[in-house]
Amino acid sequence: MLPVGSARASTDRQHHKSAVGGSAPPASAAGGSTTGGASSPGPSAPLVEVRRTAVGALENYGYGILSVRVTVLGSRIESVAVQRLQTAEQYSQQLAAQAIPMLHSEVLSAQSAQINGISGASYTSQAYALSLQSALDRLHVA
Amino acid sequence: MSSGQAGGDPLRHAEPVMGTVVSFAVYPGDRDRATVIEALAGACRILHDADAIYSTYQPESPISRLRSGAATLAELPPEVEEVLELCAHMKAATAGWFDPWAMPGGVDPTGLVKGWAAERALRALARTGVSGVMVNAAGDVIVHGRPGEESSWRIGIAHPWRAGALACVIEADAAVATSGSYERGAHLFDPRSGRPAAGVASATVTGPSLAIADALATALAVAGPDGIEFVTGYPGGYDAYVIGDDGAELASDGIRFVPVAALSAEPS
Repeated sequence: MLPVGSARASTDRQHHKSAVGGSAPPASAAGGSTTGGASSPGPSAPLVEVRRTAVGALENYGYGILSVRVTVLGSRIESVAVQRLQTAEQYSQQLAAQAIPMLHSEVLSAQSAQINGISGASYTSQAYALSLQSALDRLHVA
Repeated sequence: MSSGQAGGDPLRHAEPVMGTVVSFAVYPGDRDRATVIEALAGACRILHDADAIYSTYQPESPISRLRSGAATLAELPPEVEEVLELCAHMKAATAGWFDPWAMPGGVDPTGLVKGWAAERALRALARTGVSGVMVNAAGDVIVHGRPGEESSWRIGIAHPWRAGALACVIEADAAVATSGSYERGAHLFDPRSGRPAAGVASATVTGPSLAIADALATALAVAGPDGIEFVTGYPGGYDAYVIGDDGAELASDGIRFVPVAALSAEPS
């Protein structure tokens, strides 16, 4: 259903159980800190189909931050939903602050360019896929 | 500059749908909040309905059943034929560079449907009489009216290879669609070779319809700078902005760049 990449498999291994449920905010996604060494694999695939839920890492999608909650039954994805979605009010300022100069090499020096939106990058779908993948990693699925 | 409600902050909403997140900004004008929220719910339904019909990831969706041969066009909702006719029209208008029939796995209108659905959602919101609306379907943007008290919408064009950076900012009064090989990876195919496109890092098309701009941008990303001709030649007022793999930029006359100086409120 989604172009889920195989990256990030190692990022959040140690959180696999603790992230179940609603509120526990996952460790910061941005740093990509690979935790722990070669830990032994977690619970092996259950014989009975168990319904489990995990929340993926927070991912920046350009306008804010999202994380994805996935529920699996056995090894099958049952539902995927956006668990947290923060639309940063100041996103335009943040992004504009990083805007690169264009057109005749003018230099953008200001912090507060006013823009209404951004065309181009599928930040959201990437962030969605990354967060989903990390949620699946926590459940040792796929 | 007023801090009151008249121009005020927009109502924002982000809807997970179509494998991504579609975001809305609505400037209510003289419409009350309940009206806007109801209209937003309706706009979201439009997106989900489109997803249910056109998702190639869902094996039971009408488009999937068409692709697999499980259903004929006559058996599917009439919108499918409408979208496929638009696809055929855009294929002809782009000399074959936009070609949903060249995709692996059968006809795939994805290159146009996201914009088509976002445009329908925007029209539904605009009909309520709000003063300004923006719908951003993961980078394919369409606006209506005005953003509060500002005179025009400013849309940043994502830099093709610097994450989080902008290549430029343009003024928009309708659709802005951007395609690039960076965005969809191998999903962007050169219909003539059947291989992933190369050569253009980012292709932006502006114009009245997001469905059409989306298709033109997809074609432009594959065709390269020569494709600017079929963009500007398309009736209705479409313009193109291309960033090549080498970083060279080309734009047709109608692209309204916001001067960098105008983006900055000089901190004193």
